[in-house]
Amino acid sequence: MSLQSPLGKALGHGSAKTGLDHWLAQRSTAIALVPLGLWFTVSLLLLPHGSHEFVVAWVAEPLNAILLILLVIALVYHSMVGLQVIVEDYVQGGLGYLTMITVQFVHILLVVAGIYSIIVISLGAGQ
Amino acid sequence: MAQFNLPPNSRVQKGKTFAAPAGAKNVRRFEIYRYDPDSGENPRMDKFDIDLAECGPMILDAMLKIKDEVDPTLTFRRSCREGICGSCAMNIDGTNTLACTLAIEDIKGDVTINPLPHLAVVKDLVPDLTHFYAQYASIKPWLQTRTPAPPDSERLQSKEEQELINTPSACILCACCSTSCPSYWWNSDRYLGPSALLATYRWLVDSRDEATGERLDELEDPFRLYRCHTIMNCTYACPKDLNPAKAIAEIKKMLVERRL
Repeated sequence: MSLQSPLGKALGHGSAKTGLDHWLAQRSTAIALVPLGLWFTVSLLLLPHGSHEFVVAWVAEPLNAILLILLVIALVYHSMVGLQVIVEDYVQGGLGYLTMITVQFVHILLVVAGIYSIIVISLGAGQ
Repeated sequence: MAQFNLPPNSRVQKGKTFAAPAGAKNVRRFEIYRYDPDSGENPRMDKFDIDLAECGPMILDAMLKIKDEVDPTLTFRRSCREGICGSCAMNIDGTNTLACTLAIEDIKGDVTINPLPHLAVVKDLVPDLTHFYAQYASIKPWLQTRTPAPPDSERLQSKEEQELINTPSACILCACCSTSCPSYWWNSDRYLGPSALLATYRWLVDSRDEATGERLDELEDPFRLYRCHTIMNCTYACPKDLNPAKAIAEIKKMLVERRL
């Protein structure tokens, strides 16, 4: 039971004074993903052969490696902020915090693994 | 977690059927949500067969006829019967709207009437709007200025400036929009909802108001404002043809403008 006033309840802990950065990040990564996604899809389709050597050689080219790293960052960041919105919508309380931390850990792992792989292929193939 | 199932004591059961009087010419069935907290029973859907030949044209007319002639315990709010007080907001045929401005003939088949969704029900079609009103109060819906009022006249607005607040200030606080919004269903404890956000927008674009910065500060919050994902149920539901979804988008634009 609570005897808190309705206005007190509505005001809660006040405004977090944040949210715009998150909103901008979601939109800017979405815009970035349009050219990057198109470039990635078309490039792979234009490969003469889908075999391992061809793809590795393609990734190893400096411009491709740079754009690929940008694609991984934009994609993973977009996915992370998007999933965060879904968690905020549907999962509250302790379970919400736990889910949010898990989502962020998994995405940080994904982005580091992605960038590491591209660098390894890029440098390794150059030898 | 967001709650997707009704608790056991809120699950709706079959109710009574009230047949139309003998000799009725144009019978229409009204299925109405009934809940009496004092009875200890679950809510039920009662069916009322009404002779439209002996009834006014609007949904509210049929409900008043039921209350007057069939079952006086049927409970709902109503006042002006012309869409300006916002009292008779309810979910009719699956859409939140005002019973007084919706014609019976605009609904095909049986007319289903439920209380506004996802609010605690006080009785029958009367929902508890305490939190909804508290949220409206929380956005300080009044003129805030630092410039003292002119001693001998009103605070003036140009015609164009007045037109900016003309539409948003036509909101009647009926709660049709907020209670049609899934984000408001799941997070109304912290999300202000389309109604309170439209009300804030009305003051944000008021040329006389000098608290725009403070108002935007209060809104920039993952829950208060950014729970809106622009699905526009609010605009679809609004019985006054206002556009809360656009107002919320404009608020988000104002926050971007002051940053970039």
